[in-house]
Amino acid sequence: MQPKDSLVDAVAENLLDRLEDCKRTFPTTLCMGGSLEAVRRLLRGRGGIEKLIMMDTSNDMVKLCKNAEMRMPNENIETSYVVGDEEFLPIKESSLDLVISCLGLHWTNDLPGAMIQARLALKPDGLFLAAILGGDTLKELRIACTVAQMEREGGISPRLSPLAQVRDAGNLLTRAGFMLPGVDVDEYTVRYKNPLELIEHLRAMGESNALIHRGKILNRETALATAAVYESMFAAEDGTVPATFQVIYMTGWREHPSQQKAKQRGSATISFKDIQKQFGQSDER
Amino acid sequence: MLRFGRVLFKEAGTGISKTLSEILVCPLSKQPLRVCEKTNSLISDSIGVSYPVVDGIPRLVPSNGKIIDDEEASNSNSAVDPDAVKNDHQRCSS
Repeated sequence: MQPKDSLVDAVAENLLDRLEDCKRTFPTTLCMGGSLEAVRRLLRGRGGIEKLIMMDTSNDMVKLCKNAEMRMPNENIETSYVVGDEEFLPIKESSLDLVISCLGLHWTNDLPGAMIQARLALKPDGLFLAAILGGDTLKELRIACTVAQMEREGGISPRLSPLAQVRDAGNLLTRAGFMLPGVDVDEYTVRYKNPLELIEHLRAMGESNALIHRGKILNRETALATAAVYESMFAAEDGTVPATFQVIYMTGWREHPSQQKAKQRGSATISFKDIQKQFGQSDER
Repeated sequence: MLRFGRVLFKEAGTGISKTLSEILVCPLSKQPLRVCEKTNSLISDSIGVSYPVVDGIPRLVPSNGKIIDDEEASNSNSAVDPDAVKNDHQRCSS
């Protein structure tokens, strides 16, 4: 299997596995952006999904998924296709049981906004499940680019799209109003024969820099210098180079009365004094 | 009506499934959409924008929306004369 397939598939598989962790079923599900195709292909009936809406900003991507549906096993899932933008979600409020996004949200300009819209589209006690690329991703490439540019051009300009840090992910979930937020991180190291192969992989994955402000021209000499720096700094004994992909998995639930939450300030009915009286002046052990 | 595992119930004309027509709203106003079979589009009356449906797939990205002026709006409401629909109205087959 090509390196590009295994990374995306591994992330999709990890995401879908989490559906088995809860006793819930998710009859109406929206799958948005990123690796749509992989999620559909690897679903295998998990999560009790009955109606699956596939959404992406790109017409071609949606078309591709629709055509691929013929090859999918018959899991009695009704799939629908929409071209839509996560930042302008065309879904009615409180209509979804699950929103799933596999390696798509790091492309959005307004990630908090997109997450808020996802939350609103969820029914109470609905689940938001997303995997995004984290800040450590391609750290080797960032370093090599910076070094090469400093040497060659005497300055640096952003070459890699900004990515969320793990510490931000929790805040993102709470800011968006999700309950019971969960964040965990996985690092995948992919090995390439040489740095240029890495660039090809990224282009195949559709992950080339989307930043408007990137320097339009990646000077050919700088590009070659980058490759050389990469090789000299990170190459293994056998000549292969590693590239880190940090994936941040985020889960959050739409608020629902059944969920546990901390009591309001000032609503306490028992004081610490009472507790102390109850248990006596117990000594520390 | 026959139903195979993956075939959707379709509303006549646009080919949008019942599921979609119940769940989709205008991406900008979040208000319900109206199906317009004649122009093969979804109309957001709240802001006067129409979104195309191409090959049964609604395109609800804001940049796909086309502002409809009053004449077109009244034409898409009535079941009459297709010639009255303006030429610059969104073409749906690409």
